[in-house]
Amino acid sequence: MSGAGRIGAGALAAAAAGPAIAALVPPGVLLSLLVQACIYAILALSVGVLARQNGMVSFGHAAMFGAGAYLAGIGLGAPGLLPAEAALPLAVAAVAAVCFGLGLIIVRVHGIAFAMLTLALGQACFEAANKARGVTGGADGLTVALPREIFGLPAATFQRAEGMFLIAWLAMVALAALAALLARSRFGLLTEAIRENEERARFLGYGTVLPRAAVFALSGGIAAAGGVLYVLYNGFVSPETVHWSVSGSALIMALLGGTRTAWGPLAGAAVYFLLREQLVEVTERWLGLLGILLVLVMVFLPDGLSGLPRRLRRPRGAEA
Amino acid sequence: MTIQILNGLVYGSLLLVLAAGLALIYGLRRVVNFAHGAFYMLGAYVGYAAAQAGGFWAGLAASAVVLALFGAVLDRLVFRALQERDPLVTVIVTFGLLLVIEDAVQWIWGAEGRSMDAPSLLAGSVALGGDAFPVYRLAVIAMAAALTAALLAWLHRSRAGLFVRAASLDPAITAVQGVNTDAVAMLVTALGAALAGMSGVIAAPFLSLSPAMGGQILVDCFVVVVVGGLGSLGGAALAALLLGQVQVLGAVLVPDIAALIPFLTMAAVLLWRPTGLAGKRL
Amino acid sequence: MSAPALSARGLARHYGGVAALRGVDLDLAPGEIRGLIGPNGAGKSTLVDVLSGRAPGSAGSVRLFGQDITGLGPAARRHAGLARSFQRTSIFPALPVGAQLELAARRVGATDAPRLLEELDLARLAAVPAQETAYGDQRRLDLALALVGPPRVLLLDEPAAGLTAEESLALADRLRELARARGVTVLLVEHDMEVVFRICERITVLELGAILAEGTPQEIRRHPEVVRAYLGSAAA
Repeated sequence: MSGAGRIGAGALAAAAAGPAIAALVPPGVLLSLLVQACIYAILALSVGVLARQNGMVSFGHAAMFGAGAYLAGIGLGAPGLLPAEAALPLAVAAVAAVCFGLGLIIVRVHGIAFAMLTLALGQACFEAANKARGVTGGADGLTVALPREIFGLPAATFQRAEGMFLIAWLAMVALAALAALLARSRFGLLTEAIRENEERARFLGYGTVLPRAAVFALSGGIAAAGGVLYVLYNGFVSPETVHWSVSGSALIMALLGGTRTAWGPLAGAAVYFLLREQLVEVTERWLGLLGILLVLVMVFLPDGLSGLPRRLRRPRGAEA
Repeated sequence: MTIQILNGLVYGSLLLVLAAGLALIYGLRRVVNFAHGAFYMLGAYVGYAAAQAGGFWAGLAASAVVLALFGAVLDRLVFRALQERDPLVTVIVTFGLLLVIEDAVQWIWGAEGRSMDAPSLLAGSVALGGDAFPVYRLAVIAMAAALTAALLAWLHRSRAGLFVRAASLDPAITAVQGVNTDAVAMLVTALGAALAGMSGVIAAPFLSLSPAMGGQILVDCFVVVVVGGLGSLGGAALAALLLGQVQVLGAVLVPDIAALIPFLTMAAVLLWRPTGLAGKRL
Repeated sequence: MSAPALSARGLARHYGGVAALRGVDLDLAPGEIRGLIGPNGAGKSTLVDVLSGRAPGSAGSVRLFGQDITGLGPAARRHAGLARSFQRTSIFPALPVGAQLELAARRVGATDAPRLLEELDLARLAAVPAQETAYGDQRRLDLALALVGPPRVLLLDEPAAGLTAEESLALADRLRELARARGVTVLLVEHDMEVVFRICERITVLELGAILAEGTPQEIRRHPEVVRAYLGSAAA
């Protein structure tokens, strides 16, 4: 089976697993947690895509996630202007477009400087969310009332775990498949080449800014899609959604799972939520443990969990 | 207006001390310490705790000592161990550290804001052009200037300072000359952390304490070192004072977009002049 | 007399108070294999950098088959037909050998990637990530990435760097075959005199950023200035 065929088959199998899981898990805290896990897995996926295709680590992806949530929330709140079916994709597209424009500028910056920029961007969005009371509701957040029907589905579907789980799960699988197909495509190969050696790519005749800006836009769009699902499910978004601890969590999930594969960040999200669920009963100090986890992963498992099979087969020097 | 300019000067002075610490650590370890804002916050809380017992000055001293120890341990356990790896790895680790410190502070002291009194020596205000301006804030400028002057004098006059400058210029050659660069690095990280802690205590009486206090100032600090050049104290000083003005005036004049200024400034400088405006070594 | 394949007039490059190139004029005839030699610090790599667009010239112009390429960046120069290899191997470490050559070929609409892999003894490594291959293989890959197309003019910056004497001569012969078969004009920077004298039809000698001498290998061998500046100091 060809690579693309394998991805398709894998995606279908994974998609089918969704309803199976939904059938096995009764509605309740666990299912609700799974919904959250899927939504944040999408955010982790967006961080992973940027890391894999561009070799860039972002500390500010909560900004795109939150922007998607806020824009969708605002769009849903103006049913006269815009039907819900249009507001949601528009929110994602708007974030992606802004990311493309931003990307044209900031992908020219590398390594740690890029990390600092993304941190600053995240912080700027956090401050903006707090200050722009008129638009975002400020520190109190934005409560969003869903219309009675979206895409033919009753609003309740989105706001209850049973319905939302399937939607979030399918979205997660679809986006992961998209990321995997991208990586295998010619475009994916090009961006990986630019990541490996930008100068040589230019000497081969390739422009190196546009492709990477496109990846940044895609990554931002995926994060925004997660944000849209978040606001649909929670009916609420606040500046806390844009806080750097959210960016940090996404980064940890992506690094824990490993960014060399499309599904790595998803695995990372699964482990993260599992751990959190177990440990929350033991302690409230989740953020601190997250930090420690991040340190441990970076020191001992730089390729993440998805890199373990390769590490076990052929141990070699650690790389970031 | 004078008041706003003075306020800008106050914030800029604070930024300068904080940024000096960040620049020092970078100069020796080539690491941008994402936990620097957390050091600032931790210093403020440690100082607050000590001040309950012994007053402001005890608080200042305590935060310097505790943070210096913290920095030394961090350097020995983390920075030294990871120095062969991609610097980004260490940066991510410092980010993890940021989360740990923020959480620890919240655990010990809770999430509500706290306030700390200025030392009685510096209480009260002074009349400036018809408005009252707190004496303490003027003292902040003086304290920052004193700390910076002391740092510069130490760097340029003392033996240890010479080693620090040499090691930040070229660690390999300095090591070959017989200087224990690891010890120097540990000293510098301790010093950088202490500076961060002290600036937290200095800030506490007029900015008040909260677990979130490290956030915005960290970003501003990044802007300062990027604009001023990661290795240059002179550049950092200029950048800090400028940014102090921009931030304060921005918050007053264009509050809606003021949040974007640090990001835009950093992006512009990184694109135009990746080595910063001053672009030279410590 | 057709236009020179590559023509430089008055190329200069100053930076930080150093005059790396001081008014260099150069003409390469189409299909020529030209050697570029000179003592350390002569400005050979700088000249290649300026010709290829890696570094900006402070003055002067560069023409490719009559077309002014002075203001163009590296990508545009590649499209105009100018390619280069690198002294310090510049490849894509994590990408498989075959895939990266295909990437290079696709950009210029070339179909000779598989054949090039065979000719440079890289076909057996097509699926292997470049970083897992031997140094010599990586050098040849660096070369292949520049050769694919083929380009009209090829600048080679010490292609034999780090290779054994045997490997260097083998590479030299392959280079000559490939260049001749494809009609590529070559400017070859090399320290290895055996390679230079073996395959170059003409040699340009650079010293302190300016041209010291130019001629056939025999002429250069006997040129008193060259002997003094370069070959002599090595022999003495």
